[in-house]
This record gives sequence, C-alpha cells and structure tokens, in this order.
Amino acid sequence: MEFKDYYQILGIDRATAIPDIKKAYRKLARKYHPDISKEPDAALRMQEINEAKAVLTDPEKRAAYDQLGEHYRAGQEFRPPPDWDAGFEFSGRNYEDVDLGEFSDFFTDLFSHVGRRSSRSHHHMRGLDRHAKVFIDLRDAYDGATRAVTLHAPQTDPQGNVYLQQHNLQVRIPKGITEGQHIRLVGQGHPGAGGGESGDLYLEIHFTPNPDYRVEGKDVFATLLVAPWEAALGTSLTMPTPSGHVQLKVPKGSQSGRKLRLKGRGIPSSEPGDLYFVLNVVLPPANTEKARQLYESMARDIPFNPRQKR
Amino acid sequence: MVENNIVDGEILDEATLTLEEFAHACAVERQWVKERVESGMLGDGTHYVSQWRFTSYDLIRARRLRQMEYDFDAVPELAALVADLFEEIERLKGRLRAAGLPFH
Repeated sequence: MEFKDYYQILGIDRATAIPDIKKAYRKLARKYHPDISKEPDAALRMQEINEAKAVLTDPEKRAAYDQLGEHYRAGQEFRPPPDWDAGFEFSGRNYEDVDLGEFSDFFTDLFSHVGRRSSRSHHHMRGLDRHAKVFIDLRDAYDGATRAVTLHAPQTDPQGNVYLQQHNLQVRIPKGITEGQHIRLVGQGHPGAGGGESGDLYLEIHFTPNPDYRVEGKDVFATLLVAPWEAALGTSLTMPTPSGHVQLKVPKGSQSGRKLRLKGRGIPSSEPGDLYFVLNVVLPPANTEKARQLYESMARDIPFNPRQKR
Repeated sequence: MVENNIVDGEILDEATLTLEEFAHACAVERQWVKERVESGMLGDGTHYVSQWRFTSYDLIRARRLRQMEYDFDAVPELAALVADLFEEIERLKGRLRAAGLPFH
C-alpha cells in the first residue's frame, strides 16, 4: 500500500487552516465532480480529494495523520504501525457518516477501526450500506444474467486488527431491470458492530452504450434505414431485435421519423415496454448515369416541392 | 479470501424502501430525509409519513443532494437546484442521443 499525501492531493501546505482546506477542496471538487467532469480519471481523483478532506478537516484525524505522516512521502510503501493512533481521542462520528466503500484502502486501513473502537457502547449497530455501479448489456435486461462484482470490505480479526477482505459476488441480474434501477442485496454491505446486522449492497444498473438501440425506461428504440421506394410503396422486412427476429411491415407512404411500434417487445416485465423502429429514409446517391436519369425523371414527372406548405 | 456464490437481489421499485431503509442507504438521518420530503426537494410530494416509500430515482437524487451538501457545504435548496439541473441535463442528453447527435 502506498502512502497518500493528503496535503499534496489538495495542493495545500501543512499549516493550512480548515476554512482554506475547504476552499481548496471545493475548487478541486468542482473540477473532478463525476457528474460534470470530463477528466478521464475524475472518479479516482474525486475519491482522493474526498478522503483528503475527510481527514484534514477533522482535527482529531488530522493530528493523528500528521504524526504518522512525518516520516512518509507520497507513493512510499506504507504499512500502518500497530496502534499508530494510540493517544488520540476520536469522536467516532466521522466514520459512520461516510460511505467507506468510496474510499481507498489506505484510508480504510487507517481509519476504519476508529469508529468501531469508539462506538463500543453502540450495541448491535447495523453496518453501512454500500453502493456500486454495474454495467450490463441491453440483452441482459431481456434475458437476465449473472455478473461478477468485486468488493473490498474491512474486517476485524480476533486480535482486533483490521484487514481488507476481497469479496467476489456473483450477482444474478433479474430479467426486466432498467437503467437507473437498483438491485438490493440484503446483508452484503459492511458488517455491523456489536453483533449488529450487516448493511445492504445497492447495485445501480447502467446499460453499456449500444450502437443499435437506445432505451427510455422500458421502451427500446432502434433506427430502421429504408430506401425511398420502400418508404413510398411499403415493404415487409425481417429485422433483428433483442428478443429475436421479427417480421416488420413498413406501411406505404411512410416518411423519415415515423415510428413503428412492436407492442410488448421492449424490456420485459409485468407491463413490458415497447420496441420502436424509427424510420430513416436514405437516398441512393446519383453517382451513375442511370441513377441520375431516374432522379431527373422523378423531378420531371412527380409534381413535388418539399418546401411547399400543405 | 475469495467467495464465489450467486446472490439474488430484489429490484428496487418492485419493492420500494421505507423511510428507515432509505435513510440508511443514503447514510443520513431520518430527519434529513423528512425535511427534504416536506420541503418538496425529494419524493413524489406525498406528505403522509405512513405512505413514504422511496424508489431508485429517489435514491439517486437523495445521494446526489447529500453529496452536494457535504462536498460544497451547499444549503439544501441549492443542492436541490443543482440536482434539478443535472436531471434536466440528463434528459436533454437523452434527446441528443435519440437524435444521433454527440453531446461532448
């Protein structure tokens, strides 16, 4: 494990007062906030600056960290000495109000037992809930799937030492799930204290971008490219969908933008969504003599002005 | 230690969260949730405590509110305004995507 220099992460020096630490934090949080940042490593940087703030704006944690950090530099191999925080009084509040799952192993190793120790008087305290994002394919929402999720959870051995346990879960993704929904896995969050129950794990579902389909709730949309004569005269086509091939009838006189609805062919559920094919009429290029003649013939023989108001 | 087992979960929205479960999932006090529901920043506007049930959408929004309040010391109203704007951006991005236009 590498030592993290929280002062360096926030771009401040060791004498910086708390209001200025918050100021530095907010400036970086604005830059790396995952909801808006376009930086490729935004999520990781946000995690670092969050935990730097959590430590440096808490006078107790900061004092303990400062003493520990005197002999370390950023990136240096690091193992916290046993009882490294002996002599420091922690209020214990700050462990409970952060989601440890969003912090690094370094932070977790240093501070995870702090709350535990100070909260001995809280019998049967339930463990924290955890949150993770899972990306699935659209097809998984149609058919269901199993996905591997790796979690790191602090555990305490009989001697009271904290270690990180890797936990690989195979999670069944139920058929019918949609983007933004959560799957709750009861008891898969952080372990409780004093014999309390473990928290729950919430998996937030996202679909991996699909070039062929876009999803709105339970409805699925695909673009159907058609030739002008197919749109004008109507045709019958066999098209692939996430739930198999379908026979599709394009009505005559169709225009670009027309939606063909296949009822119940969207994401399945007790009230399944619909699948829409949105027509896009593609013109053949006039790049041969024959094609040019045909366009000229249409221009001459078909009285049509697309800009004329009907 | 590595554990390998297949775990079944429940889809939130088919089984919604109670106030207590919801507060725990957001790592906030119940009072924090109540205040935001009562002031219309969260939930569907139902003010009857016995009927409060929370969905996936509420969970995403509440965690975003909490993050804004904690990260930027934002007052709840400002955090709610930012959450509203994020939701609007997501909606507009959806429309751009639907039109086949890039948004970055």
